[in-house]
Amino acid sequence: MSSENRDSYRSTAAWRIASWPTVAFAIGSAIAFAIMYLLIARDIRQRSDEWLSGEAETLADVSANTPRDSLYKRLVQEVAELATHEVAPAGQGQQQNTVFFLHADPGASPIWVGPQPRGQFVEAIKGANLVPGIPASLKVPGWSKSFRVVYHARPDGGSVYLGFSDVAGSKMLSRLTASCVLAWAATVVLGFAIAWIVAHRTLSRVVRITETVSEMGTADLGKRVPEGSSSDEISRLARTFNRMLDRIQASVHQLHVLTDSVAHDLKSPVTSVRGSLESALSYDEHGRWRERVAEAVEGLDRLSLMLNTTLDLAEANAGALRLQKESVDLAELMRQLIDLYQPAMDLNHHQVIANLKPVKVDADPSLLNRAIANLLDNEVAHLPSDRHISVSLRAKNGDAVIRIEDDGPGFPRALREHAFERFVKGDQSIGHGLGLAFVEAVAQAHGGTVRIDDRPGGGAVIVFSLPMSEVLIAKA
Amino acid sequence: MRLLVVEDDNAIREFLKRGLEESGYQVDVGRDATTALAQAADSVYDGFIIDLGLPDMDGLDLIAKLRALGHSAPVLILSARRSVDERVRGLEQGGDDYLTKPFALAELLARLRNLLRRGSPVQTEAVRLRVRDLELDLVRREARRADTVLQLTTQEFGLLEYLCRNAGRVVTRTMILDQVWRMRIDPATNVVDVQIYRLRNKVDSGFEHPLIHTIRGVGYVIRES
Repeated sequence: MSSENRDSYRSTAAWRIASWPTVAFAIGSAIAFAIMYLLIARDIRQRSDEWLSGEAETLADVSANTPRDSLYKRLVQEVAELATHEVAPAGQGQQQNTVFFLHADPGASPIWVGPQPRGQFVEAIKGANLVPGIPASLKVPGWSKSFRVVYHARPDGGSVYLGFSDVAGSKMLSRLTASCVLAWAATVVLGFAIAWIVAHRTLSRVVRITETVSEMGTADLGKRVPEGSSSDEISRLARTFNRMLDRIQASVHQLHVLTDSVAHDLKSPVTSVRGSLESALSYDEHGRWRERVAEAVEGLDRLSLMLNTTLDLAEANAGALRLQKESVDLAELMRQLIDLYQPAMDLNHHQVIANLKPVKVDADPSLLNRAIANLLDNEVAHLPSDRHISVSLRAKNGDAVIRIEDDGPGFPRALREHAFERFVKGDQSIGHGLGLAFVEAVAQAHGGTVRIDDRPGGGAVIVFSLPMSEVLIAKA
Repeated sequence: MRLLVVEDDNAIREFLKRGLEESGYQVDVGRDATTALAQAADSVYDGFIIDLGLPDMDGLDLIAKLRALGHSAPVLILSARRSVDERVRGLEQGGDDYLTKPFALAELLARLRNLLRRGSPVQTEAVRLRVRDLELDLVRREARRADTVLQLTTQEFGLLEYLCRNAGRVVTRTMILDQVWRMRIDPATNVVDVQIYRLRNKVDSGFEHPLIHTIRGVGYVIRES
């Protein structure tokens, strides 16, 4: 997994939802395990201390009640060894439970039962500050595990020490610790995995909602988010989304019905008037009214063109322009348009330089045709004669970029800021002022842009760019 | 040829009826889908002209009904909508055609002729077109006038071919854009006129009888006189 990939995992809500409970769970269970460990360790020590105290008392009794004869030493030694064997299982050296017993008598030589050499034990005992009858810890040099030692003083000045190193107990404790840590780690990992999977699966429904909604254009408002059968928060979210989409679809549909009926209601009379004028033209045998009737027909044609564009803009402003997308060879489309406009440009002594790289886009060809024709119309209508027009098409950063440059007077500065607004046109303009607004609407409906710049060295540049493929918001 | 025109607007219906009858068609008219279905049940039609926005039924649904009832004659759809949706384009592939309002009668007649021809038996594709002393060789893509070869660009030849195929009939700018350049746009400038102007310079200049004529307010026609 690359670090970028890991980072993208970490930025997901599923990761966050799974991590925080896991951290809390890890801390909580660690505390629980620690408390359990402390209780068990205390219990083990208590048990060994109890044994130690009992034995020490017995040995002290034995030592007190046994007459000081020649057998005394042997007897005490045997009792001590017996006690030692009671707790010392088979084993060697420091790997087994170790018990020592020291009987110090002011008058006699000490009795030692335990590992040899005893010197370090005696030194350690001497250095320790022991209270009679209370077990205490004693560190003996050379022994890794400390001893618990209990001390009984006899009234005659002698003293009995009994020491015990509970290796078995501490082994048990470390085994317990190891398995506790293992169990803890396993539960934490498992807990995180389960939490992550559950969160991921739950949130993948949110991801599906996002994908569905972002894939949805105005063209296919009929799509709906999967709602799921349950009634949890996400299903409610999906249902809310779907209700919202219903409403959007209904308003877009309303708008389309409205614009269609406006178009129908306005175009029907235009069509019949145009028809009457046309037949008048064919009956006008002497051509007396020909000029005027023809002007009227042309006026009607301009009117319906303007009507179309106005309604398109009304839909585009509501984000409801109807697109009939297909794969479009943009270079071919532009070549055709340039061929069409070439003679008109020649007539104005415009020199046209076309540089078209092969670029395909997923777009509505008829809207693109009209938009680019609008831009070329602009050049034909406004560029003074004997100028150059350069038309280029290339792919750049996933966009198809069309640049139309000229070395004319450029866009009037006052006009430029409002150039894409409706009914904005220059003083000299013969158009209806909808052209650039329409071009911008087409660009935006395809997720693209259009802008006007000054050309370095004088003139205007119009840059029209369209994304080459559908960009999903979710993945952007 | 017997046609059924289904259109709810009285004025359009009347001017269509008149225009079509003048062109030699027999025309029945209906103002809604119900009437149209009844008329179609009584008579046999060679073609239908149907408006999309009928008061009682969507024009496309009417076409589907007619097809379901076994009427296979071609349909010319009239639409006031700006964008032509997929269903209409689907019909175009199925051999029908559409026209957006407002339209020129000349264009309606031209499209209708094309539609009705499609239904008729095999036609030998012309190899040569001739208008007076202008001759087009469609195989060699060569145009001659009075035995002089005209230097035409591919575009100009295509335009001239389209005019000659419709010799004697008026073609509109919209028709030229659609048929020669394969685009349905409405240029705000006179690009089509300039194309014609240039073509006329090559075809007619220096000859006594001009062949390409402008019919103001309608379009262009190529004819012998």
